[in-house]
Amino acid sequence: MIPKDPERRSAFRAGQRAIVQSLPGAATWGLVSGVAMVKGGLTVPWAVFMSLTVYAGSAQLAALPLIATGMPLWVIVATGLITNLRFVIYSAALRPYFVQERLPKRAALGFFMTDFTFTLFMRAAQEGWLPERHRDAWFAGVCSNNWITWQLSAITGIVAASYVPTDWGLEFTGTLALVALVGPALNARPALVGAVAAGVVALLAHGLPYRLGLFVAAIAGIVAATLADGWNAPRAAAPEQASS
Amino acid sequence: MNAPIDGIALGIVIVGLALSTFVTRTSFLVAGARGRLHPRIETALRYAPVCTLTAIIVPDVLMHAQHADFSLLNPRLVGVLVSGAWLVFSRNIFGCLALGMVAYSLMRLAQ
Repeated sequence: MIPKDPERRSAFRAGQRAIVQSLPGAATWGLVSGVAMVKGGLTVPWAVFMSLTVYAGSAQLAALPLIATGMPLWVIVATGLITNLRFVIYSAALRPYFVQERLPKRAALGFFMTDFTFTLFMRAAQEGWLPERHRDAWFAGVCSNNWITWQLSAITGIVAASYVPTDWGLEFTGTLALVALVGPALNARPALVGAVAAGVVALLAHGLPYRLGLFVAAIAGIVAATLADGWNAPRAAAPEQASS
Repeated sequence: MNAPIDGIALGIVIVGLALSTFVTRTSFLVAGARGRLHPRIETALRYAPVCTLTAIIVPDVLMHAQHADFSLLNPRLVGVLVSGAWLVFSRNIFGCLALGMVAYSLMRLAQ
């Protein structure tokens, strides 16, 4: 995977170095996801399989309580899909930078992109230190270091958690990790409006069959947040246009 | 409450989740379409994760045997409130998880 061409290899290495600062965050997330998967009821092989294939901490953590309570399969997959929808925006934002690459490479760069690596890429682009050449190799370096760190810490968490008694209640770390994801996002008022709407509707609609309440609540929240964002738009629109 | 999902059904769920990661992350990169996301759609997509995760967290924390338990004797609620309070002052995830788990465990031990 490491490029043979010296120039591309040095771009790859530079990418690996650029992500180092956010690796402790990735490691913490990986560890918690690993612990929560096993304490959420998955056996060690299934947890490792999920970590390697899904590779999306928030979707995994969101799916766990639904797996544990035996929800219909489509409900669980659809929930993961909504949680992952933000990646559609990321994918659209990355497209101009990689449009000249071949299809398999674009697909691979997309699959290994995460919140951490996308944020770093866009910061590098905005601050002007994204390399002019071999960006694909640079981003591959960024993503490979993030992937290795996340997977190693997830597997560490999976193995460690399998030795911890279930009555310690460690599965609750999964819920707290979701709180840690949502909490900082609530700084923006539309997100807060959406979260309050989603939470209230989730409680009211909890009795609906097939966990439909989850979707009703999520959609109510998204509509509320989008409306609230519209009210803020006149103020928020100006800087966005300037940067594009 | 139904039995946990296991066996082939679990395999299908995990493969489905993996596909959801792949499809969303590669969407625009693979399609290579010239079109851009409509600003309103982009806004809705941006808020989708926060709203979905909140819709999962709230019943998970509050619902107990078909009733919402808002009391401060609910260990999960206390754990989340302590974690939330920590997040107001710090972005450090580790402190958020550690303090929330300590509060949750103390409340469970006290009962």
